[in-house]
Amino acid sequence: MNTYTFHVSGTHCPSCKIFIEDTLNEQIGIQQSHVDLKNKTVSIKTSLNESQYKLAEILTEKIKNNGYTLSVDKKIKDKEANGVIWQALPIGLAFLALFFIVQKSGILNFGLGGTLTPITSFIIGLVASISSCLAVVGGLVLSLSATVSQDKISDIKPMILFHSGRLASFSILGGILGAIGNAIGISFTLTALLGIVASIVMIILGLNLVGVFEKNMIAIPPGVFSFFRRVEHKTIAPFLVGFGTFFLPCGFTQAMQVAALSSGSFFSGFMIMTAFALGTLPMLALLSFGSASFAQSKHAPLFFKSAGVLVIGLGVFALLAGLTGLGVIDPLFNI
Amino acid sequence: MQKETIISIIISITLIGGALYFVSNKSTSTGEALQFKNVEVRDGVQYVTIIAKGGYSPHTTEIKGGIPTKLIVKTDGTYDCSASLVVRSAGFQKILQPTGEEIIDLGIPKSGEKIQGVCSMGMYNFQIKVS
Repeated sequence: MNTYTFHVSGTHCPSCKIFIEDTLNEQIGIQQSHVDLKNKTVSIKTSLNESQYKLAEILTEKIKNNGYTLSVDKKIKDKEANGVIWQALPIGLAFLALFFIVQKSGILNFGLGGTLTPITSFIIGLVASISSCLAVVGGLVLSLSATVSQDKISDIKPMILFHSGRLASFSILGGILGAIGNAIGISFTLTALLGIVASIVMIILGLNLVGVFEKNMIAIPPGVFSFFRRVEHKTIAPFLVGFGTFFLPCGFTQAMQVAALSSGSFFSGFMIMTAFALGTLPMLALLSFGSASFAQSKHAPLFFKSAGVLVIGLGVFALLAGLTGLGVIDPLFNI
Repeated sequence: MQKETIISIIISITLIGGALYFVSNKSTSTGEALQFKNVEVRDGVQYVTIIAKGGYSPHTTEIKGGIPTKLIVKTDGTYDCSASLVVRSAGFQKILQPTGEEIIDLGIPKSGEKIQGVCSMGMYNFQIKVS
């Protein structure tokens, strides 16, 4: 029985510890593995009679698809990782600037007169998905998808569930709005509060993606993250989050909800909201499945950090806007 | 690496500065307000017209105090956030019809008062200054 210690790279999240330990413990000849996140080391007890270098190779093979590598010598990769944030910062900010330019340009403010048909609501959905609503809904989708992909690469199930949940809520609740008519008022305060919650989630996830928690060791016990991981991969949670996006503040969504309200029947409300949700789907799907595919590429660290910067920016914007909407602070910006 | 960091910081500061300048709540539209002539007094009632579509225009309006004032918000195929209007000082919260006019009673504003309207998400706003 020999004990070896390896340096590990790619451990960007507390749940990585659980994943690596689980995977390594499954290997024949590995008795006990322990990941030390702080020092980025993995120690194992093994009955295999291999050299430490050979072992590093064998074990890396098992976990490299998930972005981790083991090495005997400490890699100079830390330096590289530090450089990534300096590339990620301008990239994230450039996307943020692009977002504001698109808003300000006014190209999204074209008129759609006449009555609302499912086709026009589909087009409104397309516009909404790149409008200011992107700050809240898109930012949330990006931060959740990037976090899920970072946690467990190539798992797109939660994303499919999220989008199904979103579609289902828009269809069903749209239908209900149409059927009940004016019976339910949509509370401004409630949506504004939800928007603030969403923006805080975005900022936290964004900080996590950028790696603030990792670097400054703002310790969140691994237990908390493994709880989240379990929740994330359960069927119900992503579906419910998707379902909840119906209530997130977005002017377009609210206008559609009013249109569904006044449409007068379950079917027409259903059609309006479904078409609208389908219209927003391409952009949101691009964000979530895009992050899944980026997570598998070699640019993954750059992607996560850029996404983090972007998400923090959108989160701060959404938070300030939400507080303005509630009347807590004076308007700071006017897009 | 050092060079990279500096370049990155420069680009970032430029982007942040540019964005702030871009979205900052400057009141350049005061001049705009004069051109628009969106304030009208009819039968002793002061009417202020604001167009809500992809934001509110004009952004800043000056009105006289001491007379009954009504705010008319016009929408024309408005499906964006500006359709969900909040005018807190008037206790008004409503999602406007996509096309139409909404008349909001502002009471008799006192001079020096500032009436502010925001969309429910808070990214669009307009101001009415009472002089």
